Amino acid sequence: MPSRVALWPLAVIDVRQLSKTYRVPIKEPGLSGSLRGLFVRRYRDVHAVADVSFKIEQGERVGFLGPNGAGKTTTLKMLSGLLHPTSGDISVLGFTPKERKNDFLRQITLVMGQKQQLLWDIPARETFELNRAMYDLDRADYRRTLDELVEMLRLSDILDKPVRNLSLGERMKCELTAAVLHRPRVLFLDEPTIGLDVEMQLEVRRFIADLNNRFGATVLLTSHYMQDIAALTSRILIIDHGRLCYDGSREELAQRIAPERRVIVRQHVPALLALGFVEDHGRMVTTAAVDQVNMLLEEVMRRAPSAEIGVEEVPLDEMMTRYFRSRGERRDPS
Amino acid sequence: MRELRLIAALARVALMNAAQYRASFLVDLVTGAVSTVGIVLPLALVYNHTERIAGWSFHESLLVTGFFLLLQGAVGLAVEPNLSAIVEGVRSGALDYLVLKPVDAQLVASMQRIAPAKIWHLLAGVGVVLWGLSALPSPSLVASLTAVVLFVVGLFATYALWVLVICTSFWFVKVDNLSYLLVAVVDAGRWPVTVYKGWVRLFLTVVIPVAMVTSYPALALLGRLGPWLAVQGVVVAIVLLVISRVAWLLALSRYTSASS
Repeated sequence: MPSRVALWPLAVIDVRQLSKTYRVPIKEPGLSGSLRGLFVRRYRDVHAVADVSFKIEQGERVGFLGPNGAGKTTTLKMLSGLLHPTSGDISVLGFTPKERKNDFLRQITLVMGQKQQLLWDIPARETFELNRAMYDLDRADYRRTLDELVEMLRLSDILDKPVRNLSLGERMKCELTAAVLHRPRVLFLDEPTIGLDVEMQLEVRRFIADLNNRFGATVLLTSHYMQDIAALTSRILIIDHGRLCYDGSREELAQRIAPERRVIVRQHVPALLALGFVEDHGRMVTTAAVDQVNMLLEEVMRRAPSAEIGVEEVPLDEMMTRYFRSRGERRDPS
Repeated sequence: MRELRLIAALARVALMNAAQYRASFLVDLVTGAVSTVGIVLPLALVYNHTERIAGWSFHESLLVTGFFLLLQGAVGLAVEPNLSAIVEGVRSGALDYLVLKPVDAQLVASMQRIAPAKIWHLLAGVGVVLWGLSALPSPSLVASLTAVVLFVVGLFATYALWVLVICTSFWFVKVDNLSYLLVAVVDAGRWPVTVYKGWVRLFLTVVIPVAMVTSYPALALLGRLGPWLAVQGVVVAIVLLVISRVAWLLALSRYTSASS
């Protein structure tokens, strides 16, 4: 065990004032515009990531949230070394990612839900073997890791089928396996559950949590599915228009933008309509400020003594909708 | 050692991949035969009217034709499938995963695919060379070895050229057409290089050294290749390989992965 890490825990990921600016040609409308574009191109700058700073400690699981085009994927690509930052500094495990040193690449992995590394026409097992050769893994270690992963993801029946014959979910499980055979210390996951059905999403989520527990891997995850983030991460980074606008725990975020609770009565009780409840799929639902909840519950129990009552936090995706709406209003006061 | 293991693993995967397409063995048997006839027949027709072209007899020209078929076969077997996969990888962003592996990306990218069906073109090439030799005095051992070495060196030069074309795809994204252009230029190698004059000949021996791959080995077999030309062939190949390596590293360092 490296003593330096044990004595003085450095941040695994340290990002300072990271920016990425793309120069994109301005497409002019119409045929004549396109023709002109062939000869004279005008460019404009797109600030995909602007002045982003954060630190992530060993073993943390962090969720990266933001609307499409906010800069999440660009940031992950810079962290893994695929893209060069326009300015700012990144340190991951003490390395500068853009140098793509082999010792760095051996310790990280990037999974992109929309791309695949599995070879299409042959069984996934062969891609795994190829990765073993590329990472120069010891055969015994490799066997042990693969057995463990096969058990965690229940892969034994699909390892030897050509990848093109696998379902999307099965393929994603194999993609994840290929990505972690070398037991990376840092996992960058970009939309790892995209397009999967609910059951498969659950399985992938469980697997990522498991990896984090067993291998102590640090996880930075983006996802469209708020349930992924809610289930997997306790810390959230929110990025919008390339800027980091929130970095903290989910609870804090809830207090800031949704400091109320949702009260649900799991049966239809018309008498509750007077208390501000609305009907929703045969249930009665309302929201109340935290300090009003107890009073409300007493009132509900008086009117519907036998009803089953639940109190919940506002779901994360609704929080996000509100969060971005409020930001949008602030930016654009019209 | 590690590289050897990696190469073995790559070859295994490439063969498994190729084995998925058994039908292409039949297709390439036919295209191999057709392209052989398509190259030999015009040659035979031209020689119906004349004894020699630029000093080359029919059977001497057959040597050039044979090496040309061998070149086509070798490029189709191992070079073209890989390099078109790289172009596709740049466009789709699939190259991302390769770039993030702790390996020499050029080595892996150049060895991932193979098209064993092109073996027919290679066999046709060997056949045509032997046909030419059948009517010529048999070459010395040194001449034969020189021919083989020059052909292999020439293959590396051709590979280097293809890599250079591919590298431009990191800037321009869509360059499939460029490699068609290259195929067209390589096609000039089917004639003995002395048929061409002046700048064209210089172009075909130094810039796009196809003549080197087809005419030089033939000249070596005929015992007409001076040592100076043999050395020149090797030097051109080394220079091209170095340039293509530098271009590759440059291209990779500014690789921007496509979309998400």
